[in-house]
Amino acid sequence: MLNPLSRFTPLSRRDWLSQTGCGFGSLALAAMATRDSRAFEGNSLSEANTTFGTPTTNPLAAKVPHHTPKAKRVIFLFMQGGVSQVDSFDYKPRLNVDDGKSLSFDDARVIAKTGMRGSSQRVMKPLWKFAQHGQSGRWASDLFPEMNRFVDDMCFAHAMHTEGVAHGPATLFLHCGSTNFIRPSMGSWILYGLGTPNENLPGFVTIGPSSGNGGPRNYGTAFLPATFQGTPIGKAGGNPSDFLIKNLDSKLSEKARSDRFGLLRELHAERLRETPGDGEIEAIANSYELAWRMQGKAPDVLDLSGETAKTKVRYGIGEKATDTFGRQCLMARRLCEQGVRFLQVTYGDNSANPAWDQHSDLPKHGDHAKAVDRPIAGLLADLKERGLLEDTIVWWGGEFGRTPYAQNNGTGRDHNPGGFTVWLAGGGFKPGFAHGATDEHGARAIEGKVHMHDLHATILHQLGLDHERLTYRYAGRDFRLTDIHGRVVRELVG
Amino acid sequence: MSRHFKLILRRPTWVALFLLLANNAYSADPANPLPADPKGLAFFEAKIRPILTEHCLSCHSTEAAAQNRLSGGLFLDSREGWAKGGDSGQAIVPGKPDASLLLKSVLYDGDINMPPKGKLPAAAIRDISQWIRMGAPDPRTGTAPIKKQTGLSVEAGKSFWSYRPIVRPKVPTVQNLAWAHNDIDRFILKRLEAKGMAPAPDADKQTLIRRVYFDLTGLPPSPEAIQDFVRDTDPKAYEKLVDRLMGSHAFAERWARHWLDISRYADSVTLRGLIYTESWRYRDYVINSIQNNIPINQIIREQIAGDLLPAQNDEVRTRNLIATTYLTLGNSNLEEQDKQQLRMDVVDEMLDVIGKGLLGQTLTCARCHDHKFDPIPTSDYYALAGILRNAKALEEDNVSKWVEVPLPMKPDLAKAIALHDAEMARLQQKIQLLKGPTNTRDNQGTGIIPPSSLPGIVVDDAMAKKVGMWQHSTFSGSYIGSGYIHDQNSEKGKKTLTFAPDLPANGLYEVRLAYSPGSSRSKSVSVTIFAAGGEKTLAIDMTKPGPIDGRFVSLGEHRFEKTGQSFVILSNEGTTGHVTADAVQFLPLDGSTTARETAPSAKPSPKSDTPSPGDFANKQQTIKELEKELRKLKSAAPKRPMAMSVVEEKKIEDARIHIRGLVSNPGPVVPRGVLQVVNAGPLTPFPKDQSGRLQLADWIVASGNPLTPRVMSNRIWTWLMGQGIVRTVDNFGTTGEAPTHPELLDFLASEFLDQGWSLKPLVRQIVLSRTYQLSSSVSESLTRLDPENRLWGRAQRKRLDAEEIRDAMFFIAGNLDRQSGGFLFPETLAADYGFTTESTRRSIYLPAFRNALPEIFEVFDFADTSMVTGKRTESTVAPQALFMLNSPFPAKQSTLAAKRDIGDWPKNTITERIQKAYINTLGRNATLSEMQIAERFLNKAETSPISSSEKHHQGLEALYHALFASADFRMLN
Repeated sequence: MLNPLSRFTPLSRRDWLSQTGCGFGSLALAAMATRDSRAFEGNSLSEANTTFGTPTTNPLAAKVPHHTPKAKRVIFLFMQGGVSQVDSFDYKPRLNVDDGKSLSFDDARVIAKTGMRGSSQRVMKPLWKFAQHGQSGRWASDLFPEMNRFVDDMCFAHAMHTEGVAHGPATLFLHCGSTNFIRPSMGSWILYGLGTPNENLPGFVTIGPSSGNGGPRNYGTAFLPATFQGTPIGKAGGNPSDFLIKNLDSKLSEKARSDRFGLLRELHAERLRETPGDGEIEAIANSYELAWRMQGKAPDVLDLSGETAKTKVRYGIGEKATDTFGRQCLMARRLCEQGVRFLQVTYGDNSANPAWDQHSDLPKHGDHAKAVDRPIAGLLADLKERGLLEDTIVWWGGEFGRTPYAQNNGTGRDHNPGGFTVWLAGGGFKPGFAHGATDEHGARAIEGKVHMHDLHATILHQLGLDHERLTYRYAGRDFRLTDIHGRVVRELVG
Repeated sequence: MSRHFKLILRRPTWVALFLLLANNAYSADPANPLPADPKGLAFFEAKIRPILTEHCLSCHSTEAAAQNRLSGGLFLDSREGWAKGGDSGQAIVPGKPDASLLLKSVLYDGDINMPPKGKLPAAAIRDISQWIRMGAPDPRTGTAPIKKQTGLSVEAGKSFWSYRPIVRPKVPTVQNLAWAHNDIDRFILKRLEAKGMAPAPDADKQTLIRRVYFDLTGLPPSPEAIQDFVRDTDPKAYEKLVDRLMGSHAFAERWARHWLDISRYADSVTLRGLIYTESWRYRDYVINSIQNNIPINQIIREQIAGDLLPAQNDEVRTRNLIATTYLTLGNSNLEEQDKQQLRMDVVDEMLDVIGKGLLGQTLTCARCHDHKFDPIPTSDYYALAGILRNAKALEEDNVSKWVEVPLPMKPDLAKAIALHDAEMARLQQKIQLLKGPTNTRDNQGTGIIPPSSLPGIVVDDAMAKKVGMWQHSTFSGSYIGSGYIHDQNSEKGKKTLTFAPDLPANGLYEVRLAYSPGSSRSKSVSVTIFAAGGEKTLAIDMTKPGPIDGRFVSLGEHRFEKTGQSFVILSNEGTTGHVTADAVQFLPLDGSTTARETAPSAKPSPKSDTPSPGDFANKQQTIKELEKELRKLKSAAPKRPMAMSVVEEKKIEDARIHIRGLVSNPGPVVPRGVLQVVNAGPLTPFPKDQSGRLQLADWIVASGNPLTPRVMSNRIWTWLMGQGIVRTVDNFGTTGEAPTHPELLDFLASEFLDQGWSLKPLVRQIVLSRTYQLSSSVSESLTRLDPENRLWGRAQRKRLDAEEIRDAMFFIAGNLDRQSGGFLFPETLAADYGFTTESTRRSIYLPAFRNALPEIFEVFDFADTSMVTGKRTESTVAPQALFMLNSPFPAKQSTLAAKRDIGDWPKNTITERIQKAYINTLGRNATLSEMQIAERFLNKAETSPISSSEKHHQGLEALYHALFASADFRMLN
C-alpha cells in the first residue's frame, strides 16, 4: 500500500527554486558542493562550531572516505544478552570430556570483584550437537540450523574479547567503545565520517532498540552534532505494527496536513523574499522540505505489504516465533537498499537481563535461536540474491559471550567478556573463514585475539575510514571511536 | 582509557610486586652491566633478538616512539630500556624470571598479556625465561629517551592568559561619547572604532521586549505587555521592565536551568534507569538560590562542602545538605564490578564537572598522564582526586547505590515519626507474644502442606533444577508437597538446586526458603538470590527451624523482572552436615497485596498435631489481623526527608598516583592539593580529619583564583548574548579559544567580584548595555567586516531552546501551569524506561530522566544530562520539522491558542485575528505580504461547507500551527 501522502508530490528542489525565486538555491548548491568534501579529519569540525545545517555545511551530505571502501553500509544484528559461543559456533570437544568436572578458571566476574584468579567452576558441556557444515567444513551446533547453511559466507572471529562484565557497561562498550564515559555510538561516527547518499531517509537507523543497558546512549551522538543521532524505529518488545519512525504520521486529516504545510511553505518563502540570503531561515525552511519528502517516502520503505509471499516466508514472517524479528530483518534489507549507512537490528528486550542472558536456564537459548535463525538466514539469502551482500557488512554478535562452565554450579552460564565469537558476512570480510581461537574450553581468547576496539577499527576500515583519523575535537581533545586503541585486523579481511 | 583500564593488573599480589620492584636495588644497573659473557651474548643473538624484533619492537622502541606508537612507555631496544622499564616499572630483573614483568606478560599470567595479538610459542617463552635466568645478557646500549612533556609546564602556564590574575582594566575612552549606555559598551565600541566600524542600530521595541523576556524568563511577552512597553514613553521604561522581570519567579526558573546545564542535572541514572527520588530537591535549591540572589561563591561552597559547613539552624543545614547533591549526579556505571575502579571513576566524574563547570579546565585529561596541552601534571590530578576520594558517594553493592542522608525534620514530623515507630513496635511485640518463641520444638512447622495452599508463587523442591544427586525424603513428616530433598551429605561443592519461578509480573517480592531442619543439618548453607538488582548470597543455618511458621526463612525483599533473572540457587559447597530444601516461595509485595495477606498463615493439613484446632484458628486469625494492621501502618509511615549527598570516609587519606590511570597500578602518594598553576593566595592546610572539600571549595572561590570569576562572568555573558567572549565556554585551557575581548572579560569578572559574586547585578548590567539592545539584523558592511560577529557590532541572533519552545506554546495556548517545585513522577517508580507525562508545568520541572527525556527535549537539543553543557548545540534537522508538523503537541496547542481568541470573535476582523496570532506567537505584527497570505488562507477555509465561525476557527488553528512551526518562532532576534 502506498502512503496516501505520497500523492502530494512535494516540490522538487527545482520547483522550489523557481517558485520562491529568492535565491533559495544557495542552500541546495552548498549542500551539493559539500558532497565532494572529505570525511572529517582532525579538528575540521568541533564543538566550537555549534551551529549546523547552515547553508555552508550540510553535514549529512555523502563524503569521500579516507581510502577506497570495500563496503558501503553495515547491518548489525545485535544478539542482546550474549549468545553462548560454546553452544553455537565455537566447537570445544573438550567440554564433553570434562563435563561435570570442577576445574580452575579465570572468571571475569570473580576477578573484577575479588581480584582472585583461578576460581573453581563446574564445566558444562554444550547442550547442542556440533557437526561440520558447508564447503569450509565449519563446525557449528544445531542451535542455528538455518544460519549454518551460510557458513561459507561468514567470517568468524573466535577470539573476541571486550570490556565490562555486566550488561550495561559491555553494551555501551560494544556501541560506543567505552564502558562508562559518554561517547558517540558507532553508527553516529560512521554517519559523521561518511554522510548518507539518501537525504530522504535518516542515515543511521536502529530497529527495535532496547531501552535498557544504556538505552538511548547506544545510538546517541554524545558530543557529536545531533544530526548524527540514530533514528529509532519501534522499541524492543514492541508490536511490529509500531515499528515506525516517530512523527511521520499525524492525527490531522490529509487535507489539513497539506494545507498547513502549504501555508508554512508560503510564509517561509515570503520571509526569505524579504531577507534574501538568510542562511538560518533557509536551513529551517529546507528542513521542512526534507521532512515532507521523508514522510512521503519513509512509510513506503517500512511498509512490507508489497513484498512477495515467498520473501515473507523466507524471513519467517507470519509465523509466531519468527514474525517480529523477521519483520525487523526485512525492514533492514529495505532500508539498506535505500542507502542507509548504519542499521542495527536488535533482538532483545528492556530488562536488566536481556534475551540471551541465560544464567539459570540454558535450554532457553533454543527459543531465542528459533526466533532469529530463519530471519537471519532469510536476510543473508535475500542480500545475496540482490547483490547487496557484496558491499554490505552483516555483523552478528552480542555484547559478550558466556562461560563454558555453569554459573554458581547451577544450570546456566554467566557472562564472558574474555572470549567469544562473532561473525561477519559481506563487505569484504573473508567468506568461509575463521580467525583466532579460545582455549580448549572456550573460556578465554588466546590466539588471533580481536578486541572490540579492533573489530570497530576493522569495520571502519572496510567502510573506507581510518579509525585513527576519524576524530572529533571536544573539550580540547581529539576523540575517536577507538580511543587510543584498536588495530585493523587484516587477517579478517584479506 | 578503556582496555588498559580493565585488563591490566588486578591482583593484589601485583601491587606488592610493584612496590618490591620500586624499592629494591638490583644488579641491573645499566651503567654497570654484568661482564659480557660470550655464550650469553650468543644466546641473545640467536634466540632473543629475533623474538624482540618480530614481536615487540614495533611498539617498544625509539623508532616506535618517533612514530608516536610507543606503548606503555617501555623501550625494549636497549638494555637501559628494559632496566628502567615502562610505566609499570622495571621489565626484567636479571637472574630472576619470576620477578620479571616481561616474563609474566608473555606468559599471559597476569593482566598485561603480550604480545597483544596472541601468545608466543612455548619455546620462545622458555627461551626468554632462560635468558633472564642467565642474567639477561644484552649487548645493546643506548639511552632510552625520556618521554617529552608535551604540555605547558606549570611555570610557563602561569603566564597563560586564563591563569594570570584578574586585573581590573581601565575603561577605554571612545570617540562617540553619546553612544555608550554603560562601561560594557565602551569596551565594545573601542574595538569597533579601531576597525572603523559603526555598531548596528538599536533593536525596535517589539524585538527588544521579546528578546529580554525570553532571555530573562524563558517565556514570551503577552500582547498586553508588548503594547504597554511599546507605548511607554518613559525613558526608564526598559529599565523598569528589566527590573520587573528579574524580580519574577520565572527569572529564577529560567536561570536555574542554565546552572543545571553545567551541573549535568538529571533525575535518573542511565544503566537500569534507576530513579533519583531526591534529586529534585537540588533543582529546587538552585531555583530558590537564584530567586534569593544567593552569591555564586556561596552556592559553590555549599555544593562542594555543604555537609561540612556550620549551620546555625535546621533550615540552613537542610539547604547545605541538599546542595551537595551536585557531587552525586554523575551518570556512573554503578554495575562496575571492580569497586575500586568505580570509586575512582566517580571521583573522576566529580573532577570533570567541577573542572569544566566551575574552572573551565579539562582536568580529567591528567588522569592517565600529564595533561598533553595544559599545565596540569598528573600529580595535580591526584592531589585533587585525593580530596574527593575522601568523600563517600556510593554504597558498595553489586549495583552500587548513591548515598542519601536524612535531612533535619520539622518538630511535628519528628514527633509523628517517633509516634509511628512506637506504634509499630507495640504491634510487633503483640504479634510476637501471640506467636510465642519461634525456636522451640512446639512451634516448629509440622504437617504436610500442599504447595497450592500457599500464597504467592511456590517452587517446590520437585520442580527445582538439580545438579548432582539429591535424595527425596518424607522422613520428618513435615514438608510442602510430596516431600523434601537433601544432599546425602556427600559430594560437597558439586550439588546445586535452582529454583526458578514463573512470575506473573515485575515487582517487589519477599523470597522465603522452606527446608527440613534438624541437628544433623549444615549450619551454613549458601543460598544466592538472583534478582533485577543483582545477586545476593546468604548463609542459612539449617540446624534451627525456620523463624516463620517454623518452616520458612526469609531471604529478603527483592525486585524481579519477568524477563530478567529471577531465581534462587542453593549450593552444598563448603557445608558440613546435610543440606536440605523443601520449597522456595515468592510473595508479591506490591500490586497484589491479597497474596500477602495470607502469607504467614499457611495451614497444615488435618494430619497436624497442633494443640486445639479452634484455639489455633483463633490465634492465627488474630495474628493475621494484627499483621494486616502492621502492614497498613508501615505503608502509611511518615516519610523522613532525605537528600542525595556524600559522607566523609572513615579513613581520611591522600591518594596515590595511579600510573596510566590504573587503579591497580599505584604509584607514589600525593598530598592533597589544588592546581599548582593557579596562584590563588595562601591555602588553608588540609585537615587530617576531614576530606578537604571545604578547602577545595574555598580555593575555587578564593578572590585570587582567576579562573572561577572569569568562567562565571563569561557564562553569564554567553547566556544573554548567545556567544561567549571566550567561545569555548567550558574550556579555558590552551586548547580553548582566547577571549575576543580580554579586557572586557576582566572588567566583567571584576564587577562580579565587587558585587560579591552576585548573579543579578551582572545580568542587569549586561542587559542594560546598549550592546545587548542592538538590532541583530545584519547590515552588509558588518557582515563583510565581521562575519562571525566577534566584535559585537550587532546582536547575535539566538534560537529558542527546547524548554522555551515548549513553555511558550503552552503560554500562548493559555495552559501553562505555573506551579513550582516538587517532583512529577510516582513515588514508587522503579525505572525511568518509557516514562511520559502530560504535565503542563514549566519544562524545568519535568523529570530529566536519562532514558526517557520528553521528546521535545530530544528533538530540540536539550543539554546532555551526563555532561557539563555550557552552551547548547543548535541543530537544524528534519526530525524537528517532523515534530512540528506531525506531533500531536503543536497541533493541540494551536487548537487551544485559536480557541482562546474565539471570545473576541464577532467583533474582530480577519485582519485583527491575524495580527493577534502574529503578536501572540512572534511578538510582532504581520507584514503586509504575510497578511495577504494569511488572509487568502483564511478566506479559502471559508469556502468549505461548515459554519463560518467554525471554519475560521479551523483556519486560525492552522495559522497558529504554521506560526509555531515557522523559522521566526524559533528565532530570537
